[in-house]
Amino acid sequence: MNGTNYADLAALLPLALLVVGALTLLISEVFLTSGHRDYQVGLTVATAALAALAALTATPAGHVFGGMATVDAFSEFLTVTVCFGVALSALVAGPWLKERGAERGEFYALILFSASGMVLLASASDLLVAFIGIEVMSLATYALAAWMRRGRRPAEAAFKYFLLGAFSSALFIYGSALVYGATGTTLFAAIPHAAGALLAIGLGLVGAGLAFKVAAVPFHLWTPDVYEGAPTPVTAFMAAGVKAAAFAVLARLLVSVWAGPSAPGLGSGGVVTVLALLTMIFGNLLALPQRSVKRMLAYSSIAHAGYLLVGVVAAGAIGARPNGISSVLFYLVAYTATVIGAFAVVGILERRGTASEEPNDAWDLSRLSGLARRKPGLAFVMAVFMVSLAGIPPSAGFIAKLLIFKAAISAQAYGLAVVGVLTSALGAYYYLRVVVYMYMRAPEAEEAPAVATSLSVALVACALAVVVLGIGPEPVAALARAASSLMP
Amino acid sequence: MNLLSVVVFLPVAGAVVAAFFPADEPGQHRALALVVSLATFFLSLGLWLGFATGPSAPEFQFETQLPWIASLGIGYHVGIDGVALLLVLLTTVLTPIVVLSTFNSVRERVKEFMIALLVLESAMIGTFAALDLVLFYVFWEGVLVPMYLLIGIWGSDNRLYATIKFFIYTFVASVLMLVAIIYVAAHAQGSFDYVKVRASLALTPTAERWVFLAFAVAFAVKVPMFPLHTWLPDAHTEAPTAGSVILAGVLLKMGTFGFFRYALPLFPVAALYYRPLIATLAVIGILYGALMCLVQKDMKRLVAYSSVSHMGFVMLGLMALTAEGLTGGVYQMLNHGVSTGALFLLVGLLYERRHTRAISEFGGVAKEVPWLATAFVVVTLSSIGLPGTNGFVGEFLVLSGTWLGRLEGYLLGHVVRAPWYAAFAALGVILGAVYMLLLVERVFFGPSRNPKNAQLPDLSLREWFVLVPLVLLIGVMGFSPQPFLAPLEQPTHRLLARFSAVEERLRKEDPSLSPATGTEPPAIALEGVR
Repeated sequence: MNGTNYADLAALLPLALLVVGALTLLISEVFLTSGHRDYQVGLTVATAALAALAALTATPAGHVFGGMATVDAFSEFLTVTVCFGVALSALVAGPWLKERGAERGEFYALILFSASGMVLLASASDLLVAFIGIEVMSLATYALAAWMRRGRRPAEAAFKYFLLGAFSSALFIYGSALVYGATGTTLFAAIPHAAGALLAIGLGLVGAGLAFKVAAVPFHLWTPDVYEGAPTPVTAFMAAGVKAAAFAVLARLLVSVWAGPSAPGLGSGGVVTVLALLTMIFGNLLALPQRSVKRMLAYSSIAHAGYLLVGVVAAGAIGARPNGISSVLFYLVAYTATVIGAFAVVGILERRGTASEEPNDAWDLSRLSGLARRKPGLAFVMAVFMVSLAGIPPSAGFIAKLLIFKAAISAQAYGLAVVGVLTSALGAYYYLRVVVYMYMRAPEAEEAPAVATSLSVALVACALAVVVLGIGPEPVAALARAASSLMP
Repeated sequence: MNLLSVVVFLPVAGAVVAAFFPADEPGQHRALALVVSLATFFLSLGLWLGFATGPSAPEFQFETQLPWIASLGIGYHVGIDGVALLLVLLTTVLTPIVVLSTFNSVRERVKEFMIALLVLESAMIGTFAALDLVLFYVFWEGVLVPMYLLIGIWGSDNRLYATIKFFIYTFVASVLMLVAIIYVAAHAQGSFDYVKVRASLALTPTAERWVFLAFAVAFAVKVPMFPLHTWLPDAHTEAPTAGSVILAGVLLKMGTFGFFRYALPLFPVAALYYRPLIATLAVIGILYGALMCLVQKDMKRLVAYSSVSHMGFVMLGLMALTAEGLTGGVYQMLNHGVSTGALFLLVGLLYERRHTRAISEFGGVAKEVPWLATAFVVVTLSSIGLPGTNGFVGEFLVLSGTWLGRLEGYLLGHVVRAPWYAAFAALGVILGAVYMLLLVERVFFGPSRNPKNAQLPDLSLREWFVLVPLVLLIGVMGFSPQPFLAPLEQPTHRLLARFSAVEERLRKEDPSLSPATGTEPPAIALEGVR
């Protein structure tokens, strides 16, 4: 790298837009005197839309910065997905924060900073760039998780998230150092040309660091507490965005590893298979007994990481690689729309406490009792999200699972497919329990929760996305397929 | 747009319209649902009139083929053969009747009820019309959610337990079918199109057995076959009348239809391998269901167990793999839909009047409700297969088809030949007469012991409209079965030809194999029945 290559910088335009948006929000907050903060949601959504537009219209630049980052259809697809998640999360967060008197420009700035880290991760093809992406993304989400820091639970969640996140970053960077020792460079592309125990250990540590981020069993222990304790819109954003970004870098790294004939490639497929099995089985089993809907969704996000891992495993087989990668991409879009919608409903219904006294049943299933009578529209969209999470047709979740299992079968991973469908049948039980409470139980309180306009917009967008992706998935599936040929 | 697609999607379009109507206008929703389901029925008559029978007619008619998820080889492909035609008609006949029957009994959340019912109708018709494996799966699963809501919201006391049991049973069984579907498509040039899959599927014998099992279990739960039937009595007992009628009338047929359309023609070698087992389970189901009926105290539960028994006949007929058996099996599907649907409606009418389903609460009510009793007796006679009713045609074909077939099983080292299967199944017919006539006797005749039964109102005009079409169908299908048998001729012949071709191929590899399908000559040809 000699001098600044402007073409390389231009390739990172979406990232730059996100950062500019974040800075604008930060600065505007400084000069704000009136307390009217309604513009902030709009500005965030507009920034995300602009960044997505930039990613959609740009021609893939390929390797930039000496191969340390790769801007290809894959990264652009994920950039758009992340921006979609940012916009939805901002719409959900606005009313939620306002109700609690916690709306500040910094919140949206942090979301946008975090998103810039995610966008960087989507195109990272170098361990150090990936590390920078992870840190940018994570530092912002640690702060977001601590947003309601005066409560006991949010404080615990943020602290736990920070400590374990730092630990996983340490694993990642130490692993990177070992890989550097084995290959002499930090580029993903160099990995398949090396071999040896050092490389294997290094990759193992890097993989463990990423497994923390995607919340794969047995690296998931932080997830339930953090997801439950964090402010609900932040949880939604984490479940959608952090997962997408972490899977992006995992997929790119593994595809590079599997590209060569060397030894570490052979073991990693087996390791990811085991991770996928454990994550699907335990994620679903642990979600089963939860009475707190938010905690149930936290465990379910672990389960969904398991299905995504199945897609990654499928990408390990050469013949099934486009199937595997495109199924992961589609799944991420479907999951983003579904999970943000589901958390938005949870956020509307949660019982609010004070800083000193937090109700233990803030997200109890009984909060949903008889919702179909109190607020039919809200109950209906929640039912749509639950059906999608359970993978029942015709919903985005079904098509996503279909793609994942199709990829698994084309990779001849029959066991994974069978375990996958059986655990998803298990999942149907706890998702449908939500429907039972909403539709088949008498309301415990007669109150009908108020839904702000921006929240309605977000909910309708999520529900529409879920239904449209379930009935006419072809455009997005074709895009995902086009994005599935990763640049080596 | 193609007529079949209109029939498939008209009900769901009606449901979308209903969503815009206010929830506190139940009359509006009842009228809309009735109009939409009647319109669907009349349009489906167009399918019947336009359907060509005879050897030169194409296998699937009213076909539409459009790309859906083209990058995955998934298309929107619909079309019907004779079997699907009759099942679509069964669905479109029963739905308006069910809608009409709920005008009195469903008073809460009428809007959601009618929407669920209409969505359910579309999903059921779609299941029969689909000619793409993924499309089929989508409709197949699409049935679950509305049915789950019907039982769970409008059911009786123990409804939550029943509806969750129903959902989990059927969902677990069907997800394995999804894996099998994907596997099958991967071995049929990546296409999910039924016709293409059937033509190009190439599986190893072991793989074929596993895939067949995955399909068969999904279908067997739906039928339901012993020992996978345990969800059915609970679901039927707790479901509202409308739910029971649809469940018994159409949903159970989706299972047997699945065997006829998918499990048998796609995996013939595995089907031949598992045939004795399935036929044995069918006979056990016939006898078990009938014996359970003898000890029931709850009318609805009794009718539910009788479904287990009757669906056993359908499965036995299919497994006989003779022209008579297959035709009888399919005919029996229709009969069961009509007569058990009618039985559930009648039990529902009694329940509306007395708010109990316990047999012991009744007795001698024929004096109070002579017309209701008459209808009940006619339906009972159809259910037990009295000559002159539709039940006789179906049961006779199934039993004679089984008797003459080459079905062979093994029990404790002995070869069990086809007549034994038929003989034990015939025992089920006798038991069927016993439990149904006992039911009629205990409910409608004898001394009137319970003063609460005095002055029960007889059929209202609306209830006449509910019952008359079904009673008429029982008579028409009993006296003149030919219009209903004609569309079945080609599909059964095609299936048998497929099996004999497979057998020929197998005999080339192993000449010692004896033929297993078709009848021993001289057979009672189908013409003999006409």
